[in-house]
Amino acid sequence: MTENETALLERCQAGDRDAFGPIVKKYAGRASGAACLLLGCPQEALDASQEAFVRAWRNIGRFNSSSPFYPWYSTILRNVCRSRLRWRSRHKTVALAEGHANPSTDADPACLAERHERRDRMWRALVRLGDPFREIILMYHFHDMSYREIAAALGIPIGTVMSRLHSARMALREKLAGDTS
Amino acid sequence: MSCDLFKPKLSAYLDGELPDDERRSLEQHLASCPACTRELAELKRLSEDLNMMRFKEPGDDELQRYWAGVYNRMERSIGWILLSAGAIITLCYGAFQLVEHLVRDPAVSVALKIGVCALIAGVVILFVSLVRERLVLRKVDRYSKEIER
Repeated sequence: MTENETALLERCQAGDRDAFGPIVKKYAGRASGAACLLLGCPQEALDASQEAFVRAWRNIGRFNSSSPFYPWYSTILRNVCRSRLRWRSRHKTVALAEGHANPSTDADPACLAERHERRDRMWRALVRLGDPFREIILMYHFHDMSYREIAAALGIPIGTVMSRLHSARMALREKLAGDTS
Repeated sequence: MSCDLFKPKLSAYLDGELPDDERRSLEQHLASCPACTRELAELKRLSEDLNMMRFKEPGDDELQRYWAGVYNRMERSIGWILLSAGAIITLCYGAFQLVEHLVRDPAVSVALKIGVCALIAGVVILFVSLVRERLVLRKVDRYSKEIER
């Protein structure tokens, strides 16, 4: 974390809303992309990532400003996305009627930096994975977190991280093979 | 040993997260097992593809709109808190005045007095029950704990 970011976060904790702007702008792309992978719908991802920033702001007093912001924020974001997925599974008919995407059928790779056939296929396969598999691939491959960091963030043993990530990659390979055939 | 014992460890080996003793025993197995070596190569390709994927960074205009959206929500959340607090205080005060007025007024029928009192008691019970439920949920909600990390 840069010194500048620490200073901004301390200003946020003192109630300076304008200091939150550069923080939000710095992580907006990563946050929307992560939410897009978890939710499968770019529009809902934008909304969820903004909601997570508002929750982060409301709880900024409880944030330890000597630690990096994004891991803390990503925990909030994950919970916002989990709530939405839970809500979606409970109100499936309503969600579809309101135009929320069904990740298994409407995976738009719009939030990827570079697009081509191979990556689009990979994205579609990723979005079709189960929630825990998408989550662990997001943490390891997109957020560059170590096994230890993932274990701490999810509250699971390192052995579980190891087996879950392996199962996630196996499932992804299967989806990709299914997509080709 | 069987490949089934080693295959689940291939990912951790690839990521350099396997403990030394397990890594050595897996390397010995790989030296004599073409099937596991092939699977490791496939996993490596998959992992490299995943590592190459990055999320798009929004342009300046998009970022400005994004921040404006967050800022408006932050502002509105304060508005909602004040509105709710003001509504609760006003309703409580109004209800208290109404009950006091009704109870003291001999012209108002007993049935109406009982009806209004029951209505207000019902609202109070529902409100207390909702608040209690929220407090209990807060204690068991993972989110409220994780946010302090």
